[in-house]
Amino acid sequence: MANVSDTAHGGADADHAHAHPDFLQHHFDTPQQQFSASKLGMWVFIATEILMFGGLFCAYAIWRGQDPEIFDQAHHFLNKIMGASNTVVLLFSSLTAALAVRSAQVGKRNLTSVLLVVTILCAAGFLVIKYFEYSHKFHLGLLPGHCFGHPGFSGAIQNGQEVGSCLRVDATQPAGNPEWVHAIDESGHVQLLPPRANMFFGLYFIMTGLHGLHVIVGMSVLGWVLWKNIQGKFSPQYFTPVDLGALYWHLVDLVWIYLFPLLYLVGKPE
Amino acid sequence: MSTEHSPAHGDAHDDGAVHVHIASSRFYIGIFAALIALTFATVKVSYYDFGSANIVLAILIATMKASLVAAFFMHLRHDQLFNTLAFLGAFLFLGIFILLTSDDMNRRGQFDNSYGTRVFAPTGQVAPGGEPATSATDDAVEPGEGEGHGHGGGAKKE
Repeated sequence: MANVSDTAHGGADADHAHAHPDFLQHHFDTPQQQFSASKLGMWVFIATEILMFGGLFCAYAIWRGQDPEIFDQAHHFLNKIMGASNTVVLLFSSLTAALAVRSAQVGKRNLTSVLLVVTILCAAGFLVIKYFEYSHKFHLGLLPGHCFGHPGFSGAIQNGQEVGSCLRVDATQPAGNPEWVHAIDESGHVQLLPPRANMFFGLYFIMTGLHGLHVIVGMSVLGWVLWKNIQGKFSPQYFTPVDLGALYWHLVDLVWIYLFPLLYLVGKPE
Repeated sequence: MSTEHSPAHGDAHDDGAVHVHIASSRFYIGIFAALIALTFATVKVSYYDFGSANIVLAILIATMKASLVAAFFMHLRHDQLFNTLAFLGAFLFLGIFILLTSDDMNRRGQFDNSYGTRVFAPTGQVAPGGEPATSATDDAVEPGEGEGHGHGGGAKKE
């Protein structure tokens, strides 16, 4: 009981019976208050992140509503297996991040370090898979805006045959305009994509690009948390940075959970 | 067991220290297994053609996955309710944003060179927010549009 009333006047008497731990900043009364404030701040930040991605999801909703056929056609150029593998990689890294927080809560410092390293490695793995996907799109000339079907990106040669190149089908198009792209999609069918398909790939590259940027930032944040953990800054009484770093990483996972079906799994199956 | 450390009880014997709900490792692995199962489900479903239900299913499954991540990996289930409100508030405003934008897009009309003004693509009617129609455009529209719309077009002119 005494503690409760002490807490209420905590700000007034600095020489309070409670030990004032190093991690407790002077403008907070108790570790619990500091922890709650940090968490709320992180959640408000997460809300702003959702709204930032929200602009792109809004663009997606509007444009898909206006032209669903092009989504149907263009999404066959995204590899479902690679997308699904990346989903599994990110979900697994989310698990290890959650377990890292748990081990920090129970004070298993070394286990926390190991789990953070695994999380960061998974993040790197995600980027590697993304790199293969991006370079394949580049190769086929499936690029955003006026780069779509750019002749500079032609010539996928397999077994002496050109399997996927952007052929300039409509040569009457003025230079600099997007071209029709004639290429082989992920299930091996030859498709002819109209110039307006550049919008799909614009959305694809911007949405996954912004997400990829978050993956890189998340790796840095978790790397910093790992460094502090190795230095022994955290304990069951103070694990806030581990918790908040993991929250950021889960946000990256959350965004991908929506990006994957909306980009890779939309439209009619072949 | 450890639910007794939830915030509601924590307040009763507040010593100022951080009390959180600590789930077991096995529990987190269970959540992960559920997430993987849902991922397989959403990929599997995408190989069948349910028409417009495909996108609804995809978003539904994604929302189930997101809820699992937010509730358990991100600890919202055992966190302060206010954090959940901040999180869900973002989706509320995102919804308002998308609704208002699509409403605007639907009512604005598109610029049509043959009419020389903004028109609704499906009907060819002059759209609000467009440039004032020339008399030539109105003449062209009214006879073709016929009964009900003729009045609307006439009122626009004044």
